[in-house]
Amino acid sequence: MTETINVVGFDIGTQSTKVIILNGNGDVLARAQVFSGFDPAQALKDAVQQALKTANLPQTSITSFTATGSTLEESPYAATNVSMMSALTKAGTHFFSNAKTIIEVGAEEARAVKCDDRGVMVDFVVNERCAAGAGAFIEAMARALEVKMEDMGSLSLTAERASSINATCVIFGESDVVSLIHKQEPKSEIARAVYDAMADRVSAMVHRIGVNPEVVLVGGVAKDIGFITSLKRKLGVNVVIPEFSEYAGALGAALIGLTKNNKAVNKN
Amino acid sequence: MKNNEIEPKKIMPETTQKEINDLKPTLQAASEQIIAQTIARLKKATPNRPKELEYFDDMANLFGTRIKELEQAKAEGKKIVGYNCIFAPLELILASGAIPVRINSGWYDTAKLGDRVVPVEVCSIIRSTIGAKMIELSSFLELSDVLITVLTCDGMTKLSEVLGGYKEVWRLSNPRVKDSGQALKFWNDEIKQIKINLEKLTGNKITVKNLKPAILKTQRATKAFRRLQDLRKDGVVISGQDAMLVTQTFMWDDIDRWTEKTNILCDELERRVQEKEWICPADTPRVMVTGTPMFWPDNWKLPSLVEEGNPRGILVADELCSSERIIYDPVGVDEWTMNDMLTAISERYLMACTCPCFTSQDGNEDRINWLLTKIKDHKVQGVIYYVTRGCMLYAMEYTTVKRALDKINIPVYYLDTDYTREDAGQLKTRVEAFLEMLTAQIDI
Repeated sequence: MTETINVVGFDIGTQSTKVIILNGNGDVLARAQVFSGFDPAQALKDAVQQALKTANLPQTSITSFTATGSTLEESPYAATNVSMMSALTKAGTHFFSNAKTIIEVGAEEARAVKCDDRGVMVDFVVNERCAAGAGAFIEAMARALEVKMEDMGSLSLTAERASSINATCVIFGESDVVSLIHKQEPKSEIARAVYDAMADRVSAMVHRIGVNPEVVLVGGVAKDIGFITSLKRKLGVNVVIPEFSEYAGALGAALIGLTKNNKAVNKN
Repeated sequence: MKNNEIEPKKIMPETTQKEINDLKPTLQAASEQIIAQTIARLKKATPNRPKELEYFDDMANLFGTRIKELEQAKAEGKKIVGYNCIFAPLELILASGAIPVRINSGWYDTAKLGDRVVPVEVCSIIRSTIGAKMIELSSFLELSDVLITVLTCDGMTKLSEVLGGYKEVWRLSNPRVKDSGQALKFWNDEIKQIKINLEKLTGNKITVKNLKPAILKTQRATKAFRRLQDLRKDGVVISGQDAMLVTQTFMWDDIDRWTEKTNILCDELERRVQEKEWICPADTPRVMVTGTPMFWPDNWKLPSLVEEGNPRGILVADELCSSERIIYDPVGVDEWTMNDMLTAISERYLMACTCPCFTSQDGNEDRINWLLTKIKDHKVQGVIYYVTRGCMLYAMEYTTVKRALDKINIPVYYLDTDYTREDAGQLKTRVEAFLEMLTAQIDI
């Protein structure tokens, strides 16, 4: 007799909360994303309900919840916590079985994981308490340039060269951009400088654990063509990006939940 | 023009008496509370915690009985010698009849006060020690008649100037290349100068008659110290935090009493080994920590994150000058002549030290060797490389250490932090990811 299994994985990010529902075979039944805001517990509830609705499932049909990202003091769901690094390893190797380096760039954090041939994490690195290598940097710079954040990527691709800015800090980066604006440098070149500076930071971080192909890029910023182009150039290798890359953390958590569940079933 | 001798040297801005009166009791009360909470947490973390740790729990009170003992000794005419680095020759201090106490500050809140004197980029320990001096929070520092500062790093070098406005400071300048022809000779002269200074301070001549028992005293302490560490090589009978508490108290306790109590604790631990009374499951990841020293009471966050996290790890060894390195190496004397004893002291403090202030053609080889030996002996599965802000020497030596550990397939994680409580959440995420990684590797 096989019981129907559905697992939920969620990732509470600094900007948005992502939820994914998988069935026992690891097929994605639903995804949902909600702005984390000031009440992340409520955001999580909303996202889970939204996903359940999409999957057309009652909450009672969920076998397990697995959480990653920020930890809530009082979680509305009895979830097992896994670290983002473990979740990324699982998701990255799920998408690309030869993945050796998995990079995640979110709103305020950037991380990278190194895997061995078995898909086991052997090293990881996290950005150092500054958002200059993460999505918030693009957002701040887009604001300074008076460009929509969605348009920054395509704008940067039209540049023939990049201006130069310092990306040790979002705030200082912004003042660099202001001085470039005063020098009347073209917006496209400044936009490209923003991505180059970010990619410099991320690439330096990844080099600390080694750039081993296949290199996978996930996270919200993995959808930004401007960043992808700069990162590929800086790393000097091809970078593969899965569909729904912003759900990688949630997916990894759900997959870990599923594995644990299967192990427990096999034991009995 | 009052107080002409000391006044012009003062680097620190004046802290008003009112501010000292306001801040000192507030921070002391907060610190006493934190000490009590941390001890309570240690007890909770290990339900079958060794009973003989109780002595060290009391000794860990930085405002407790030890202060009273020191005040008493001072009233009886004894001199107190504060030091902030393990290069300070304890044997000479003891032989002169003075009492050694280490004065590095582990208080987070005083680091913020130190920001008024030096920029925030400066090492947290230095800023915190300056802050502690500003409001006279550390009785060890206040009671000290003189301070011995070793010019190991830039922070310590300049700290000696800041503290020099308040206390007499004896600067010990250490060579940075151990195996150069002049190194030991130079260092030996520095040590001899300390001997002369101590004799002048205490009025007691250091002779064969009082130096030999002082050396024997620290040799006994080293033996107890090593005994405790040997008990952490296999089945786990003491948590890393508890072992660190024992080693930290050495910095201010009476050395004979500390030795006796540590031996009593080791007796209990040996019984537990016999009875296989372990404090954690056998598959708990075995972690070692190396890097910037960590000081009681506030800068205790890393050990507690490792041992109270989910998954849980266990610290089985460390390479910290605030813990296992304190008195690991004995003074080895061949002939009990004054000359031989002084040479033996010089050699022990210089040659055995693995501080990253040393360099050579092969880098700081002694440190790498210590790490490799410890990893093997204590069956370490992963290393956390801990650095506080501004600690340049440890930060830079990471690359060499990482390369050496990569060769033997031991994962090492670089963790940088500051004297602050606010980053505990971020550190928790990183430490837990590291422990998950170790667990995943053990599972396979």
